[in-house]
Amino acid sequence: MGEEKGFDVFKRMATYDKRWIYVLLFILVLAPLLSPIGMPISVSDWTKDYYDKVNALKEGDIVLDSWDMEYSGYMELKPGVLASHRMFIEKGVKLCITLNHPEGLAIPAEVFGPLKSVMDQYDYTYGDDYIILGYVLPNEAAVASMATDFHGAVSVDWNGESIAGTFLDNIKDGGDFVMVASYTTGIVSGAIIRHFGQTFGIPIVRNAIGVMISAQTAYLDAGVIDALLGSTRGGAELEYLIHAPGPGLKSMDAFTLGHYMLIIFIIIGNIGHLGWKKRAEYRESTGIR
Amino acid sequence: MIEMFEFTTIVVGIFISFCMFMTLYGKPNPLRSWAEFSYLACATAVSVVVALWYIYRTAILGIQGGDLILIASLILGAMMLFRMHPEYSYVSRIPLAFTVGVGLALSLRTIIFTDFLAQISGTIVGLWTGIPLDFVYGATIAVSVITMLTFFLYTTEITGPLHWSARLGEYLLYIGFGAIFAQTFMGRLGLFVGYMGQCTTPTWKIPYTLVSAIVCLILAVIFDKTGLGEKLSAT
Repeated sequence: MGEEKGFDVFKRMATYDKRWIYVLLFILVLAPLLSPIGMPISVSDWTKDYYDKVNALKEGDIVLDSWDMEYSGYMELKPGVLASHRMFIEKGVKLCITLNHPEGLAIPAEVFGPLKSVMDQYDYTYGDDYIILGYVLPNEAAVASMATDFHGAVSVDWNGESIAGTFLDNIKDGGDFVMVASYTTGIVSGAIIRHFGQTFGIPIVRNAIGVMISAQTAYLDAGVIDALLGSTRGGAELEYLIHAPGPGLKSMDAFTLGHYMLIIFIIIGNIGHLGWKKRAEYRESTGIR
Repeated sequence: MIEMFEFTTIVVGIFISFCMFMTLYGKPNPLRSWAEFSYLACATAVSVVVALWYIYRTAILGIQGGDLILIASLILGAMMLFRMHPEYSYVSRIPLAFTVGVGLALSLRTIIFTDFLAQISGTIVGLWTGIPLDFVYGATIAVSVITMLTFFLYTTEITGPLHWSARLGEYLLYIGFGAIFAQTFMGRLGLFVGYMGQCTTPTWKIPYTLVSAIVCLILAVIFDKTGLGEKLSAT
């Protein structure tokens, strides 16, 4: 680019300090969280399908509840996880919960804490209605092992208490689960599909983080998974469908403003880049600085 | 009423998070180094403890229950530790090869269906189902797949209609990359919004969040302007 004199608005648009974007993003995210605007959202067909699949579960159905996420990923999936588990509890579904990342051990308190009133209301208790197996699915081999011989792979829960005598006695292999609910940042998400969905034909519903949606869409279109909640947005839509506003709906204003900001900065950057380039070419061709 | 321990954990957590965010300032910052190393140390410690607990629950209890084949897995696991010894690190190749082989065998058994055959059958869809929008989707899939495949033809000279098909495929790929980028942004924004939601709920956390953000930003500027950041930061 040629050397130029004076103030060049295009150059400024193309080369502004990117740290201003972070400051602006921080303000745009925090402001609506502190003072929600209440922008409208629509509910996608994906979320309706997910809702229908979970809503079709019957009392006493045993679901493999795969928490395939680390703590940071939970921040994105939290609305979907909370709304889904509210549905599970209200429907009396029995949950066999696996934590697939060491950090995942901090998540149960984050999920069942806010849902305590619902659990008390429906008399939903640990041992009778849900069991947390802990960190048991770290890799493909562990998933395959659990799918083929459940009690051979797991004999105790996350506290070291025996799971014998619980509702998990009814589970011999992966085919005995009615559904797999997978909340995933991608740790063993493929293995869950391969060893539960593909081998036993168990329906899989999934809440995936944003960066995984493109890959998961291919699975959804091909019928490999049965329903997909997309990132926080999907969780917010589910909250709306079950009439239980939570962190998802609260964060949608911040989401919307953040997306508008990105679009505006993309437009500014491109106009700046093209304008600056054109002027530089002009300066080069005319020799005028 | 929140307990003192929980209160301290949350407030320190919020402050450490903002120290970590100071990496966005783009200059060396000792607070960021401190936060980063603290996180690494804690995460490693948690992983080690959880992994040991996992070994106890799945292997030790299994052996006590009479499943003696698990002794072999413990031996293989122990052999993996030789990786840290320069002279005997070759020993770790055996369990490593075993792990890779088992993983591949287990995944390949079904991956051909989920990632190959199911994707092909999912691509071959009826164009007209009676719903105009479905026709648009079906036609988009058909055109995109054919043109993108021609873009990846490397063994023949791309001329004539093939050239235009490849060119169209290339532009469709750009559109796909754009969609992936948008979803990535949405995902990363989701992490940030989710965490900020965590930092502002319940409302008593809000002052600590705002103060942490402002203090960390001021300190980052001071470290930058005085040159202290360079001196005090770990590399």
